[in-house]
Amino acid sequence: MNSNRVRILVVEDALDIQRLLRSAFEAEEFEVQEAGTLTLALSRAATFHPDLIVLDLGLPDGDGLTFIDKFRTWSQAPILIVSARMNEPDKVAALDRGADDYLSKPFGLGELLARVRVQLRRGSKTESGTSARLEFGDVVIDFVTRTVTKSGQAVNITPTEYRLLTALTRSPGKMLTQSALMKEVWGPHFKDSTHYLRIYVGHLRRKLEDDPSQPRHLITETGVGYRFVK
Amino acid sequence: MINTITNLSARAERLSTWQKIASSVLVCSLSAALMDPLIGHLDLANIVMVFLLVVLFVSVTLGRVGAVVAAVVSVLFFDVLFVPPRFSLAVENAQYLVTFAVMLITGLISGQMAVGLKEKERQALQREIRTRALYDTARKLAGAIAISQVKEICQTFFDEELGVLAALLIAHDGHIDFEAPNNLALFQLERHLAQNAIATGKTIHNESMANTRYASIYVPLKASAAIRGVLALSQFERANYLNEDDLSLAQALGAVLAITIERLHYVAVASQAELDRVSESLRATILSALSHDLKTPLTVIMGLADSLSLGDAALTGPVLSVSRDIYTNAVRLKAMVNNLLDIVRLERGRMALRMEWHSLEEVVGAGIQYLGQSLAGQTVRVRIASDFPLVEMDAILMERVFSNLLENASKFSPQGSTIEIEASVQDDEVHIKVCDQGPGFLPADHDTAFERYNRGALAHLQEGLGLGLSICQMIVKAHGGDISLYNRAEGGACVQIVLKLGHAPHVPEEL
Repeated sequence: MNSNRVRILVVEDALDIQRLLRSAFEAEEFEVQEAGTLTLALSRAATFHPDLIVLDLGLPDGDGLTFIDKFRTWSQAPILIVSARMNEPDKVAALDRGADDYLSKPFGLGELLARVRVQLRRGSKTESGTSARLEFGDVVIDFVTRTVTKSGQAVNITPTEYRLLTALTRSPGKMLTQSALMKEVWGPHFKDSTHYLRIYVGHLRRKLEDDPSQPRHLITETGVGYRFVK
Repeated sequence: MINTITNLSARAERLSTWQKIASSVLVCSLSAALMDPLIGHLDLANIVMVFLLVVLFVSVTLGRVGAVVAAVVSVLFFDVLFVPPRFSLAVENAQYLVTFAVMLITGLISGQMAVGLKEKERQALQREIRTRALYDTARKLAGAIAISQVKEICQTFFDEELGVLAALLIAHDGHIDFEAPNNLALFQLERHLAQNAIATGKTIHNESMANTRYASIYVPLKASAAIRGVLALSQFERANYLNEDDLSLAQALGAVLAITIERLHYVAVASQAELDRVSESLRATILSALSHDLKTPLTVIMGLADSLSLGDAALTGPVLSVSRDIYTNAVRLKAMVNNLLDIVRLERGRMALRMEWHSLEEVVGAGIQYLGQSLAGQTVRVRIASDFPLVEMDAILMERVFSNLLENASKFSPQGSTIEIEASVQDDEVHIKVCDQGPGFLPADHDTAFERYNRGALAHLQEGLGLGLSICQMIVKAHGGDISLYNRAEGGACVQIVLKLGHAPHVPEEL
C-alpha cells in the first residue's frame, strides 16, 4: 500500500455507483474504500483515515447527517455530499453540520473529479496556510494591505464587502450557507436578513466579475448559499 | 294537613264539573248538618267561621267551580238554617247581608287563587319535565359523532316534547345546504325564510303558515364562530300550536345544536388536516423514493459514458462520439426527470412558496449556470440595471422558470444566435422578457403552449416533454404573476413574465 496516495472513502449504498466511483478515482491514482451502510462507514472512516469522503445522504441504516456529526468529532477531512435529494433544506442541513460541498445526482464524472480536486487542494496544508495574497481571474486580493485590484486597477471596496470577500475566498470550493455567511460578516443578529447578503454579493460581482449576471468566481447555489471558485 | 289537601286536590282534578258541583254541595250540606245541633251553644259569628273554613277547603281542593258553588250553598244554608228567622230566606238583621257578601267574596277569591296556584304548579312541573328532556338531549348531542345523528336526536326531541316536526339545515359560510338529506318528505321549507333567519340571526315565526305544508318557524343556530344552520319546525297536521314557552325551548335546544354542529365542524376540519398531512408526507416519501430510483441509474449511465472519454483509457474517433451521445442523452433525460418530478411536486395544489427578497440578476444567473454546457451554442445577454430593486420571490422556483425558458429558447434558436434577458420596472410591476432569435411561436402556440405535455407545433423538431412552459406558468401564477408569449417584430420568440414589485426592505448603503 502506497501511503502517499490520496485516500477516498465512498459512502454509498448503490453498488453500481460504488463501482463507477472506484474506477473513476482509481484512474486518478486515488486509493478507494467503500461503505454501503452508516455503521460500516463510521468504522472504515476510523481505520482508513480518508483524505476525503464522498457521502450519499440516504443510507439503509441511518441518515448521512449522523455520519457527518460523528465524523466531524475527530476529523476535518473534506466531505463531498452526492445525493438525489432535491430539497434545499437538506443540503443546508448537511453543509451546516460540516459538509464542504454538495453535488446533486445525477452528475457528470468530470464535475465530480473537479470538485474532489478542489476539496483535496483545500485540505492539503500547503495551500490552506495563510497566504498574503489571492489571485483569481484577473483579480488580486492583498490581505496585508487589504486592497483589491482587477486587471491591475485598484477596486474601491467597502469594509463590509471586504469582510464578505475574505469570508467567501477563504475556502475555495467550499459551499458556504447563507446563514453561515450572515453570521460571519454581519453577526448573529442579522441571521434572517439574507437580502443583505444578496445585495453585497451583487456589489462584489459588479466590481470583480466580467459579467455580473454570469459570474465565474462567486457562484450562487440558490436556496443554499455561495461557493467561491478560483 | 297540607299534604292531605294536595292529595285530595290531585284526585279532584280527575272529577268532571258536575261531580265537582255535587261534591261541593255534599261537603257544605254535611258541615251544615254537623253544626245544626250546636245552635244556641255557638255564636252565629263562630258558625260563619266554620262555613268560611269549609268554603276555603272546597275551593282549594275543587277549584273555581267548587268554590263558587260552596260559597253560594254555604250562604244559603247559613241563611236558611242558622240566621233567624230560621227556615226562611228572610233576614232579620241587615247586618247578615255583609256576612253573606264576605263569604261569597272569600269563596271566589280563594277559589281563584287555588286555581292560579294549581296552574303554576302544573307549569313548574311541565318546565321540569322539559328541562330534563333538554338536558337529556344535550347529553345525547354531546356524544354525537355525525351530523346525521344530530339530526335524528333533534327530530326525536321535537316530536316527543313539542309534538312538532323538525328539520335541521346545515349552513356553510352563511349558505344553507338544501340538498343534504333531511326528513323533508313530511313537510316543506320556505327557503327564503330559512336563509333570512341566517342573514338576520333572529328566529322567524310566521304564524300564518302554521297550517300549511310549510315549516312556519325558523331558528338560526348561532355558535361562537358563525351561524351553523337553521332549525325548521312545522306544525303541519300536528295538533300542537306552539306558544312562547315552546318557542324558547326550541331556541334553547337551538343553542345546543349550534355548539354541537360547530364541534363536529372543527372535528372534521382537524381530521381533514391530519389526512392532508399524512397524504402530504406519503407524497413526499414517494417522490423522494422515485427521485432516488430514477437518479441512481442515470448517475451510473452519465458516469460510465463520461469515463469512456476521460483519463488514459479514453476512447477515440467514432466510438468516442458514441460515448458523447450517450452522455448528452443522459443529460437530457436528467432534465426531463427533473421536470417531471417538479411538476408532481408543484401540482399538490397548495404550493408552499419560500418568499424572500432576491436579486433578479442573481436568480437569472443561477438559471444560466444550471444549464451550463447546454447553453454553449448560444450567447446569453442579460440586461438588468445595476440598481434594479430586489423582488420578492421563491428563488429556487424562479430559477427553474428561467432555466426552463432559457432551455426552450436554446432548443429553438440557431447555433451562434443570442438569447436576451431583459428586466424593467413598469409602475408597480416587474417585467422580465426572455427572447430568442428562433422562428418564433406559431399562432396555435399561443393558446396551447401552457398545456401540459404540449410541445408546440414546432416541437417535433426537438425532443422534450413539453413540461417546461407548464411548470413556468404554475410557478409564476403561484407568485401572483403572469406569463405570456409573443413574437418580436424583428423575429424570434419572447416570453414575458410580470411580477409584483412590492416594497423591498431597506439596506443601508456603505460609503
